[in-house]
Amino acid sequence: MKEVFIGRENLRKLLGRWAKDYRVYVPVTFDIMNNEETPDYELVRDEVPENISLAGAALAHTPKSFLFFPREVVARYPSSAPEADVTAPPTVLVGPRACDVRGLAKFDKVYWSTEYFTEEYDDPFYIEKRKNTYIVSVDCTSAKDTCFCTEVGGGPYAEDGFDLNLSPVEGGFVLAVGSENGEKLLAGNDDLVGEPLPEHLEERERTRNSVTEAVRRQNREFFSGAPDYDKMDLEAAPEAWAYVAQNCVACSACNRACPTCTCFLLVDQRAKGGYERTRNWDTCLSIGFARVGGGANARPNLPDRLENRLRCKFEYSRDRYGLVTCTGCGRCIDVCMGGIDMREAIKHVLTEKAKA
Amino acid sequence: MKNLYRPIESVIEDIKKETPTITTYRFRPKEPITFAAGQFVELTVPGVGEAPFTPSSNPNVTDTMEITIMRVGAVTEALEGMKVGDTVGIRGPYGNGYDLSDFEGKEILIVGGGVGLAPLRSLILALFDHVERYKKISIRYGARTPADIVYKDLLPAWARMKNTEVLQTIDEPHPDWSGTVGVVTVLLDDLPFDLDTAVACCCGPPIMLKFVNLKLLEKGFRPENIYHSMERNMSCGLGKCGHCMMGEYYICKDGPVMTAAQVAKFEDPF
Repeated sequence: MKEVFIGRENLRKLLGRWAKDYRVYVPVTFDIMNNEETPDYELVRDEVPENISLAGAALAHTPKSFLFFPREVVARYPSSAPEADVTAPPTVLVGPRACDVRGLAKFDKVYWSTEYFTEEYDDPFYIEKRKNTYIVSVDCTSAKDTCFCTEVGGGPYAEDGFDLNLSPVEGGFVLAVGSENGEKLLAGNDDLVGEPLPEHLEERERTRNSVTEAVRRQNREFFSGAPDYDKMDLEAAPEAWAYVAQNCVACSACNRACPTCTCFLLVDQRAKGGYERTRNWDTCLSIGFARVGGGANARPNLPDRLENRLRCKFEYSRDRYGLVTCTGCGRCIDVCMGGIDMREAIKHVLTEKAKA
Repeated sequence: MKNLYRPIESVIEDIKKETPTITTYRFRPKEPITFAAGQFVELTVPGVGEAPFTPSSNPNVTDTMEITIMRVGAVTEALEGMKVGDTVGIRGPYGNGYDLSDFEGKEILIVGGGVGLAPLRSLILALFDHVERYKKISIRYGARTPADIVYKDLLPAWARMKNTEVLQTIDEPHPDWSGTVGVVTVLLDDLPFDLDTAVACCCGPPIMLKFVNLKLLEKGFRPENIYHSMERNMSCGLGKCGHCMMGEYYICKDGPVMTAAQVAKFEDPF
């Protein structure tokens, strides 16, 4: 893998050059009401922002928002109405973490997989965005207390699945090239990069190891004695799941914050020239998610729906796509207003199961 | 790449009232839609939305498609407001359907409940096209009251087909009814079938499927030979939107026809 060093200022210059040909999104810190600074994606317009933040752990938003819009028009009818626009502008997304990059694998399976679907199931809306979005991932330099990537087969830095990867080191970044698109992004910018020094590479290793160790350490109590993440069997007595769900209010924030929740609902409405069909993120915690016309509901009870969500991550996706789709990003824990911690939930279910 | 989400415009060519709440529509799509018995389509009522239905017409007829629909929700209610000549949309077909080559030389039991006979009709008509290929076709149909029976005018003709019998029941005694009374499982007490090879195709409300499944297993049908037409919420029909998921199965893609063997591991699959 080709690796170069790029200084902080030169990275800003590189972002500025990309912004001429691409839509470039970078993580910046915002002051929000309670004065906490939360980095989130912002579009680079005329100036490369000053407050770019490439330190810390995963951002609030996942890359799915850029590839699978919360709401988008996917069809218009009748045939006299204009076609839905599938085109996607070339985009560079700087800031996804390793957990996010792994999460994209689920989207690729569902929307762009000839392994599980034949070609006529290819989703042009996803595929166009995916093809035209270059992923510049970033190593985590610290862990949130909700991070648990190391316990589900991942780690705080990406080893593949990116076009470019940035590893923060003293004065700049080690920049690794992971694909032909990454080569393309770097082409013509030799004036901004140099050979990485041995101390840069050593620092990268040190940071990677220390963050990995920190994530492992903070999760020891949750996962000690648990089966391997890809061998989970969370089928347990209904009481175990009822206990887990007691503070769930079905707000579905976890669904929306999750890098691997791919579900949606098609909604039709009147529009200019006829009607349009929009594809909207939908959430399996909603009471109507599995309800059919006439009222029958496969999962009318909230504990069943929370069970479905967690088992989808650990079991159903594994059995269907060969992919455990919890990447340990911790966002479902971050956003839960009921304080439900997926790690505690799994621990509780496994403990109750062992007792039974 | 084709747009998966766009329906094919289809004109309503005929509307036939089956019961007060059930209607059969004949559609003529602008492009022919070829389907296999048991597969389903997504039907669009313009501006209202889509709902999944299994066609009830012969799959060997491709220029028109009939669907028998019960009024239960927003889409079906809006459909009732439409008339001959109006345009709807159809996407599909989706799902697996029945593998009829697998049925050849075998005895076939068809168990329907209420409007559940509608999807089975497309199977029945496909079987009738080559009736000599099957050893026996036994249709057993239950409806709530005589007024709820669909295809009243077709059932006598079906009973006259070669190697075919039609048995009927209604849930409770009724002055207009002299036949069998009781839920559809009462028609399953006597099953003179070669149980090692006979196949059963079932469609109806969840509670009916649950008890028909138990009954057929008890009678000795092999779980891999019992086919259920599963009903789930389906938005996309493409194995993507997640609404129909049941464990690792997406009913719209791996179903809607699922065998008793496939669903055995679920506590209450129907």
